[in-house]
Amino acid sequence: MRAVRTLVCGPVFVPVFVPVSVLVFVVVAGCGPLSATHRDPGNGHEVATGTPSGQAEVAITIARGRVSPPPGWLEVGRGQRVGITVTSDVADEVHVHGYDLAAGLRPGVPATLRFTADLTGVFEVETHGSELVLTQLAVR
Amino acid sequence: MTPDRGEAGSPAVMVLAHGVGERGDLPIPMFYAYAGAFAALVVSFLALGLLWADSRFRGDRAGRVVAVRVPARPARVVALVAAVHTLGWLVLGPVTGNAGPYLVYVLFWVGLVPASLLLGPVWRAANPFRLLPDRARRTYPRRLGYHPAAAGLLAFTWMELAAPEPAAPLTLLIFFGLYAAAQLAGTLRYGHAWLERGDPFEVYSTLIGHLSPLGRRADGTRVLRNPFDGLDAVRPAPGLAATVCVLLGSTAYDGFSTTPAWVDALQSGPLGRVGLGTLGLLAAVAGVALLYAACLGAAGLIGGTSGLSGRFAHSLVPIAVGYLIAHYFSLLVIEGRHAIILALGLDAGVDRDVLSPAAIATVQVLAIVLGHVAGVVAAHDRSVRLLPPARAVAGQIPLFVLMICYTTGGLTLLLA
Repeated sequence: MRAVRTLVCGPVFVPVFVPVSVLVFVVVAGCGPLSATHRDPGNGHEVATGTPSGQAEVAITIARGRVSPPPGWLEVGRGQRVGITVTSDVADEVHVHGYDLAAGLRPGVPATLRFTADLTGVFEVETHGSELVLTQLAVR
Repeated sequence: MTPDRGEAGSPAVMVLAHGVGERGDLPIPMFYAYAGAFAALVVSFLALGLLWADSRFRGDRAGRVVAVRVPARPARVVALVAAVHTLGWLVLGPVTGNAGPYLVYVLFWVGLVPASLLLGPVWRAANPFRLLPDRARRTYPRRLGYHPAAAGLLAFTWMELAAPEPAAPLTLLIFFGLYAAAQLAGTLRYGHAWLERGDPFEVYSTLIGHLSPLGRRADGTRVLRNPFDGLDAVRPAPGLAATVCVLLGSTAYDGFSTTPAWVDALQSGPLGRVGLGTLGLLAAVAGVALLYAACLGAAGLIGGTSGLSGRFAHSLVPIAVGYLIAHYFSLLVIEGRHAIILALGLDAGVDRDVLSPAAIATVQVLAIVLGHVAGVVAAHDRSVRLLPPARAVAGQIPLFVLMICYTTGGLTLLLA
């Protein structure tokens, strides 16, 4: 690209640039970008991750179509063991996308999926009958 | 029951409830986002002072003539066969492992982006509706412009992002039934002029294709040209800005809709998944459009020129393409192979580990920042042409604020 070519009275605009760029930074900061509040630790599942090489465990309950704790973000390192225990009040099936793992759910009976997180990316863990997202598994 | 590896052996559980993506991209590292935002800001302000003072893009008069002849009719027949093949999958295919949704959402919708970027308006060349005779009973109303295409693109993205069962064959059949009816009716009434403005996929591919080095002059001669000349050749028409805002807003909503807070609101809020999803999608498009209208209004005031709105819409095309690449690059690479494997019945697995997170993040940030840079350069050239010389630089400031908002917004979505 031949973008930067002719100098059109560059220095004259320096006094304009500084206040304008400050203004833009203010606008930009005001719009609230470049923050990741929704992924702050408090908003995710409280996961007992332990050491990075340890096991990530999460327990999720579904009652009357509500997921508790609310669907969040389960962050694990690549190669880590993951255990997802789901208890539903109705018969259903839990499915981990991408890994293509599934387990049947009987009412009130906890079912646990255990696997090694060996694919990177973000994968939805959801139920098939009620079509609820239980959590999103983020493997780094 | 606590199966250790789940029931990984049973491939039967593959209900496509949420589109076709089996995996999503990880948030990009914060450093990448800041580096991208910083680069975008620096380039914008350098461009303001350092770029040329007289417009130098020559739109559809530019380029070197190349002797390429594309056999249009065979291309359209092949596209028609592919469309019938996809319909066959949707109507007759199995519930699990149906290639139809992958062919539509991945190979067609996302695949049109790189195809058009490289080769120009490919869907115009292959559009099966162009096999119909070009006999207009009426002239296409000027003020209708791109509005039918904007509505069609909004309908398609609504189906993809907010409909109850986006990847169910029935959903796709209803959409394409309505789409085909609209194209048939439009083409019979207005001839091929309708397809140029009213077919959402042709408009989408043609707009992206303006960034291709291969293009056509106004008289139809094929030329090899600077993509900026190609972009400059986008003809302003009513609804052009709306079309680009639909592309930007829907892609932004797609990024936003997987954030945990929104997922929770979708499935436990009072409006229900479809209601809130529809509102979110419309709000994203409206937000992008309002920001555009406000900044162009300001540019008009500062520049002392009215009626700028449609004349800068072309500069948002590269930004929209940057968004599309950032959001769908990994999907095309990974699920595109899946689509081909399913459609041809190949006995192969899908390797979902072909791209490292660092490679994906790099492509994403580069796409957003390069889209921004191209948008700034295109807007600069248009400003020095349209605005009085004394006001051309100051008049660009609202445009740069607009683009910086879109770019930082796009980078923020990559953090989500």
